[in-house]
Amino acid sequence: MSLIKDFTKGIWKENPVLVMLLGMCPTLAVTSNAENGLSMGVATTAVLLGCNIVISMVRNIVPKKIRIPVYIVVIATFVTVVEMLMAAYAPPAINKSLGIFIPLIVVNCIVLGRAEAFASKTGVVRSIMDALGMGLGFALALTALGGAREFLATGSLFQIKIIIPWSVDFMLWTSAPGAFIILGCFLAGMNKLNMRKAVKNGEVYIPPQGLDCRHCRLCDIGVEEEIE
Amino acid sequence: MKKLKETENILVLGIFLGVCAAIAALVLAYVAKVTDEPIKKMKMQEVNNALKEVLPAFDNSPGNNIYKKDGVTFYGAMKDGKLAAVAASGKTMKGYSGKIVAMVGLDLTGKIRTIAEVDGKKLSAVLITEQKETPGLGTVVCERKRQKTIISIFEKPGKDAHLPANNKILDQFADKEAGKTPWQVTKAGGKFDYMTGATISSKAVTGVVYNIAHTFAVNRVEIIKELSKAAK
Repeated sequence: MSLIKDFTKGIWKENPVLVMLLGMCPTLAVTSNAENGLSMGVATTAVLLGCNIVISMVRNIVPKKIRIPVYIVVIATFVTVVEMLMAAYAPPAINKSLGIFIPLIVVNCIVLGRAEAFASKTGVVRSIMDALGMGLGFALALTALGGAREFLATGSLFQIKIIIPWSVDFMLWTSAPGAFIILGCFLAGMNKLNMRKAVKNGEVYIPPQGLDCRHCRLCDIGVEEEIE
Repeated sequence: MKKLKETENILVLGIFLGVCAAIAALVLAYVAKVTDEPIKKMKMQEVNNALKEVLPAFDNSPGNNIYKKDGVTFYGAMKDGKLAAVAASGKTMKGYSGKIVAMVGLDLTGKIRTIAEVDGKKLSAVLITEQKETPGLGTVVCERKRQKTIISIFEKPGKDAHLPANNKILDQFADKEAGKTPWQVTKAGGKFDYMTGATISSKAVTGVVYNIAHTFAVNRVEIIKELSKAAK
């Protein structure tokens, strides 16, 4: 039972992008279309899986003092392996558009975060489930973001035009500002859904740290609620 | 094992990290060795695909019949033991995001080849093989991508589906010969159209195509001689 929970928590409850706000660099940079988002998600999942397995296997012998450098060595190795494999076997178009972002998986907080928070404390099987769940959550979030941006910009999904008369691209969504706007909308929607669910169950909803704007006093949103 | 986990002996820590790095290096060396061949093949295949599109039918492997001159790589296509056409690949750093690499098919007089005529419009043998231009602006100048729609994926491919898609900017160069004056876009006083919003990309592409054609025109005799020789 807990194995299934380890797997599913990454997809919604602890989604690395939409709840934990980790790995924003690849999230914002590569999601200009759904295909890129999906392939980045798959590449990260492969790295995550390999790292979680190795780190959970060596967790009892790695000295505490140097655990972070050791994790980084493991992660960097897997990323380089994935990079070489992609250059050798992936379709050239995907390899070209993702090429500069693959090395950045090394510093993707999701991988190091899962190594430190999960794999270094639990056994191999649970770590595998965790990696698969987190990777799937990451890939889904990236594909959804990329799909939304691609659709709003060109009316197509996975490079296939859905709305045929759409002839002029709306460049805002595929450029950096569009990435922030769409991500903001996704986060707000996620918060809203979780809040509604919490209210239905009669609980108090506490937004994840960094997603809650009520501690900031720049504007009045949320102040009244608190006073009440 | 417990001891190793809690150790603070700096020597042990150093050795442990060193062993980790050594294992990582071994794994990487092995993977690099295994993937070396496929990566080379992949790159070669990309070049060959581009060559196939810009050259007429040939019976040698132009990817191996190479002559380099002034930063431009020339590929010779042979047909029945004679040099039939030349493809040339050159680069410019003047793109909006730096490097643009173009592959151009030339006939032996130095004219840029026309691959085919579709609906009365000439399709030039100019391909951009590498670029990092802004998606949606600069890429419009550079890409020959066939638009897929939700209807077209269910339809039978048309009779010119094997040809690269047309591109207003790149197709202007069909049948052009490089003279002494460099080609310019109309904005800079030349005669070539450019794409609004992607002037820099258009200029860079015009410049690199001219540079390739001009290098060939100037060194024509030498290049033809060298490429014909390699085949024998």
